[in-house]
Amino acid sequence: MNKFRLSAWTFAAATALTPFTTQAGQIEWLQWFAAEDTSGYYDQLVADFEAAHPDITVKLVTQPFGKVRESIVTDNAIGVGSDVLGLNMPWTKEFLDIGILEPLDEYLTREGNSFAAGDLVEAPLGKIEGHTWMVPLNAFPFVMHVNMGLVRQAGFEAPPTTWEEFAEQAKAISALEDGISGIGMPFSSQPPSNGPILTFLPLLYANGGRIMDGSTPDFDNPKVVETLQLLKDMQDEGGIAPGAASRTGGVDLEEFIAGRTGFLISPGVHSSAITGRNAELDYTLVRVPSNGEQAYRVHGWELGISASSDNKDDAWTFVNYLLSPEVNAQAAQAANALPGNLKALDVVREGADPTLIKQIDILEGDTPVEEMRQSPKAAGSWAVMTEEIQAMLRGDKTPEETAAAVQARWLELAQ
Amino acid sequence: MTSMFRHMTTRGTPYLFLLPGLVILGALLSVPLYKVVEYSLYDNVIVEREPTFVGLDNYANLLSDSGFWSAGLNTIVFTVGSVLGHMVVGIGLALLVNADIAPRARTFFRSMLILPWIFTAVVVALNWQLLLNPFGLVNYVLQWLGLVSEPLDWLGNPDLAMWSLLLISTWRGYPFIMVSFLSGLQTVPKELYEAAEIDGAGFWHKFWHVTLPQLKPVIFGVALLDLIWTFQLFPLVWLSTGGGPGRATEVLSTLTFRLGFVDFQFAQAATVAVSILIISAAFTLLYLRNEARRL
Amino acid sequence: MSRIEIRNLVKMYGAHKALHGIDISIQPGEFCVLVGPSGCGKSTTLRMVAGLETISGGEIAIGERVVNGLRPKERGIAMVFQNYALYPSKTVYNNMAFSLQLSRMPRDEIDRRVREVAEILELTPLLDRKPGALSGGQRQRVAMGRAIVRDPEVFLFDEPLSNLDAKLRGQMRAEIKRLHQRLENTIIYVTHDQVEAMTLADRIVIMRDGRIEQQGTPDQIFHDPDTVFVAGFMGSPPMNLVECMVTPTGLKLGQNDIACATPSSLRAGDSVICGIRPDDIRPSADLPAGASITLPVNLIEQLGTEKLVHFMVGEHALIGKTGGRTSLTEGAAHPLSFDMAHAYFFDPKTEKRIR
Repeated sequence: MNKFRLSAWTFAAATALTPFTTQAGQIEWLQWFAAEDTSGYYDQLVADFEAAHPDITVKLVTQPFGKVRESIVTDNAIGVGSDVLGLNMPWTKEFLDIGILEPLDEYLTREGNSFAAGDLVEAPLGKIEGHTWMVPLNAFPFVMHVNMGLVRQAGFEAPPTTWEEFAEQAKAISALEDGISGIGMPFSSQPPSNGPILTFLPLLYANGGRIMDGSTPDFDNPKVVETLQLLKDMQDEGGIAPGAASRTGGVDLEEFIAGRTGFLISPGVHSSAITGRNAELDYTLVRVPSNGEQAYRVHGWELGISASSDNKDDAWTFVNYLLSPEVNAQAAQAANALPGNLKALDVVREGADPTLIKQIDILEGDTPVEEMRQSPKAAGSWAVMTEEIQAMLRGDKTPEETAAAVQARWLELAQ
Repeated sequence: MTSMFRHMTTRGTPYLFLLPGLVILGALLSVPLYKVVEYSLYDNVIVEREPTFVGLDNYANLLSDSGFWSAGLNTIVFTVGSVLGHMVVGIGLALLVNADIAPRARTFFRSMLILPWIFTAVVVALNWQLLLNPFGLVNYVLQWLGLVSEPLDWLGNPDLAMWSLLLISTWRGYPFIMVSFLSGLQTVPKELYEAAEIDGAGFWHKFWHVTLPQLKPVIFGVALLDLIWTFQLFPLVWLSTGGGPGRATEVLSTLTFRLGFVDFQFAQAATVAVSILIISAAFTLLYLRNEARRL
Repeated sequence: MSRIEIRNLVKMYGAHKALHGIDISIQPGEFCVLVGPSGCGKSTTLRMVAGLETISGGEIAIGERVVNGLRPKERGIAMVFQNYALYPSKTVYNNMAFSLQLSRMPRDEIDRRVREVAEILELTPLLDRKPGALSGGQRQRVAMGRAIVRDPEVFLFDEPLSNLDAKLRGQMRAEIKRLHQRLENTIIYVTHDQVEAMTLADRIVIMRDGRIEQQGTPDQIFHDPDTVFVAGFMGSPPMNLVECMVTPTGLKLGQNDIACATPSSLRAGDSVICGIRPDDIRPSADLPAGASITLPVNLIEQLGTEKLVHFMVGEHALIGKTGGRTSLTEGAAHPLSFDMAHAYFFDPKTEKRIR
């Protein structure tokens, strides 16, 4: 009797614990990509992969973007992390500090890889603490979306290319009528409070500036102050939509789509959403206005392997599959993005619309920059940036004070 | 002996039936509770595999952290303000929809007024963001009425953000109070109002001398319950303002989240969580005592 | 002390007419009882006098003032409710003082009045208690005290004793009567209990289906009923009402002939409802002067000082009375004597009295 009970217990416990133990040949892929796709592409992708690799099964774990970062950390803490992780460059340093990520250097040099490491978009590969931690599934350069209708209405023939033109046009568009503004600045504290990443950093990079020195914050430099000054001047002239401190990224995008702002600085990938949602808009996209620098902020969907995975080889087999030019091209098209493997660009270029061609030009010719990946506390850091720029736009701080305050708080955070 | 044994088993049987539930509940409640308290005594939990035990250092750090005190103060303002808002609006509307009007209209108003309760925090936050936008409806109406000369950034101005948040929280939370009071109101004998009317009481006298005393137990219970909920309310604040602008609307619950999931300082987050727990537990005890007294 | 005039009072609930034009004239200081079965409109009438119900038609005047448009507090009335309606959160003292406080009477004047009334009603030791700590009778007295302190022109009582047990009800009834004698206010008192009506009233108004059936002094109502309904409603046990045939010499009751005088408007062969109170049917030995018939007695109820004698005449069940010591056997036939001098005759169609 007791013996029977004992075995029943063991059985029950074993059943209950099954999810925590990974079977050989099975890998889990945690990502948000499928959450932003309505065509069912990712199920098809997994099915194709499994057909080509009958010994490996892939379990797709999909969460909204806002949840993925928390999930990776908490899953790792209780030891149920996925094998292949959908990643975002800014998370790199904080994740490797927790020990979540597997260094990829050795995998990248393996014989029989479907791609050459030199063909991948470079930014995510940059070594931190001597290693490479992520590979790019796709990439989007940050661009400036333009409502040409408003630009012409304000009396200009072409979108701005320099800061001077940018400020002038934004001011003129704001002056058109109530409710119309030159550009929106999404500096809401509401999470992910990534306003500065969307607007400030692209402008800074186009100005040739940087905010990090390796993994050390370097915010109080002249280039940063210049860029802050631009925002402040535009704010004072009325070029920026009112309510920056409560404006979320989502609202900012919606306002542009609705035709109430002249410009929108955001990833190029938004072009399909813009034209798809408002076909009436006289729309184009251009490089972020610069002072002669050809540098752009790059953003993309990255892939990494969990350090605690029991199945790293199978995980790499899957990542390798995703990076092959054919599959990578498909994945880029499905996401309306540019491929992480530049060898796939030619495939993507065929039949691409002019806005995508412009993005390809940027990707091929300009310098990609992504610095948050080096920041030890990326999410905290951009919240700090948000709060301090809010204060500046409100008139509580000068650009110099703002730069100094961010620098001081970043150093405190980094400890 | 046998009879005693039988007595024991008969008395024990109900507890046996309760056991599975108690075990599951206990595990679901006590394990996380224990974990949070444990985390608060270590440094670098979750981030490090082998965190170091630091005793009460985290608590000492917290007490000397101005961010914690300002979040605490904001929490008090937000909680007290919300509860007061809920009470005033909830009682007022309960009185209105309890009025003797056409039953169909009454049902209509009652259902309409409960609506804010059924929306998720995401929807509420988004709608109010749009309403309170500088180009939004609220500013439009205020300008039209000539109450403000230029649009205000209700959620983006540090001087206004807490008030706006209180407005949102009041809108979102009054239906529970209204429903509680409405059911309370319906238990007040009609004759009491008639007696008061004959005694010469007007609307306010009736409200003050008849309605309020009759509702006093309900008010006290519901206010405490609301206090407990609002004190640890997270989604509405996080989604409406994210604690901003700056940290103007940072409350203890958003501070906990920020420390945990933005800054990965899980030990500090656990420490704030424990402080919330202690205060909530005090309110809860008060509530339970009140309930026990009512029975 | 005010006169109350109710003229052609109508109450509509939607399309339903609850009162069909009520006329009552109450003299200053008169104790008027509205009585009738539930739903007859007596409470509605009272509440319209109080101002708690709107008036659909007609007029109410208290003193010389038409009060139709006045709010309850402006009408100079005080009301005692069936459930007392005491404020649960207030002490007895404050329950009684509330209306005076609302009228901004000086504090010491309030105190004087409340204590005086409390003394009359023997409430002085209870002044600091809350209603929850009082017995039913005490609550009833507080409710009356609350009405009395205001020194109103008119007291309105809405079934004030119906929540009390029978013994307490008797006591309170007497207390109300004494109070009236002492205060001499005009009173309208609603009840469904005909004993209360008989014992308390100077004037009884019997209502039925939103109409006044008859009004008058208790003597008039009891001894000179206008209708079958009034005759049957007042008195316990109720008056025997039997449909019978008029004969040249009297009435034919079942198979039995009763010799008696009948109203001159009746012809032999007419159908008539004959009413006779149980007091007026007795064993022949008790009442030698009456018309005697021998009938089977099927039930005897012993009440103590008297007995109720249930018997059948044809298919009609009738009740007579006898002294508590008279011995009668159930099931046996007994000669019963009908005192036809106190019989009443009603038209079977209109149910109106034939005099």
